[in-house]
Amino acid sequence: MKTSVENAMDACESQEDSRKKFVDRIIKTNREVFIMSSLLDNQMCGYDIIKEIFTRCDVFLSQGAVYPVLYTLEEDGLLRAEYRKGDMRTKRYSLTPKGREIAEKDVEIFAKALKQVTLLLKR
Amino acid sequence: MSLMLKNTINGLDKILFDEIPKGSVILVTGAEGTLKSGLVFSMMANYVAANDEHGLYVTLEQSVESHLRNMNSLGIKKEDGLHIFDYRDMRMEWMDSELDLIKTTEEVIDSYKEKHDNLTLFALDSLNALYSISEKDIMRNKVYNFFSNLRDEGLTSFLIMESAQSRISGQFSQFHQTEHYLADGTIDLGIIEGKGGVKRYIQILKMRAAKHAMEKHQLTIGDNGINILGPIY
Repeated sequence: MKTSVENAMDACESQEDSRKKFVDRIIKTNREVFIMSSLLDNQMCGYDIIKEIFTRCDVFLSQGAVYPVLYTLEEDGLLRAEYRKGDMRTKRYSLTPKGREIAEKDVEIFAKALKQVTLLLKR
Repeated sequence: MSLMLKNTINGLDKILFDEIPKGSVILVTGAEGTLKSGLVFSMMANYVAANDEHGLYVTLEQSVESHLRNMNSLGIKKEDGLHIFDYRDMRMEWMDSELDLIKTTEEVIDSYKEKHDNLTLFALDSLNALYSISEKDIMRNKVYNFFSNLRDEGLTSFLIMESAQSRISGQFSQFHQTEHYLADGTIDLGIIEGKGGVKRYIQILKMRAAKHAMEKHQLTIGDNGINILGPIY
């Protein structure tokens, strides 16, 4: 039989798992915002973006979920892709002026929406 | 005006009498240079141009730019509703062992479906490339689920498969392969040498729930794209 300490630890773990699942779902569903926000300060390739989001949010966005978004954003004129001098292997993305404007606005709206949802839940 | 797949290539309706049922998984086989990619891309481009639908062409072998150059040289234009996804960047940045290509392809489809809910056509160029990057035995087992998932998604899918030699002693040597049993249809493309010279042909070997001719018909490429002419015999 488990001790009360063990039971408390299990409860904490399960709460932590549930929290992680929610965060995971929120980030995956809104990955476009997270991908664009990653590019606000840096030029990055797909690999770097996945790594950055994993480090920052502890959520692994799969390659199949990230690269199509990058290609679509590029097609829509929100991202610019270029190769570094002497490195034709890695395509690095940066925000176009239009992309930056949208990214900044979306990050702000997203944060407000999350705040609103939190308030609604606490009522 | 809506267009059926069987009307997307000039003369295709001479060998395919009924429309390909939606959600079918079709294998397009043939040796190199038999216009497999051109035929599939042309069918998809003409279809999405005439219908308010979207298509996704996934290429494992070529970059988008090189694929488009090839299509352009055949007089086939990319339409807005036809999206091309290549694995070049992903494969440059990640080790092949880090990529589960079937799972990734399914995620790529999901991503495009999220953006375009009327995504109805899908092509993979090619199954051979998929096998060459992955462990063959594991991949073969996964193919069954992949085919089922494509059907469940309601996508009419064209899976391109290169075959070095399609016939040996009158038998279809490749017919023992799992993909052929699992697919709803098989369109075989080839090159035939006769007195009249070398000709390309198309033959529908199988198409579930659609009547079709069995004969080989000549396939040509002209200024107006791909054409299917009469029987080749």
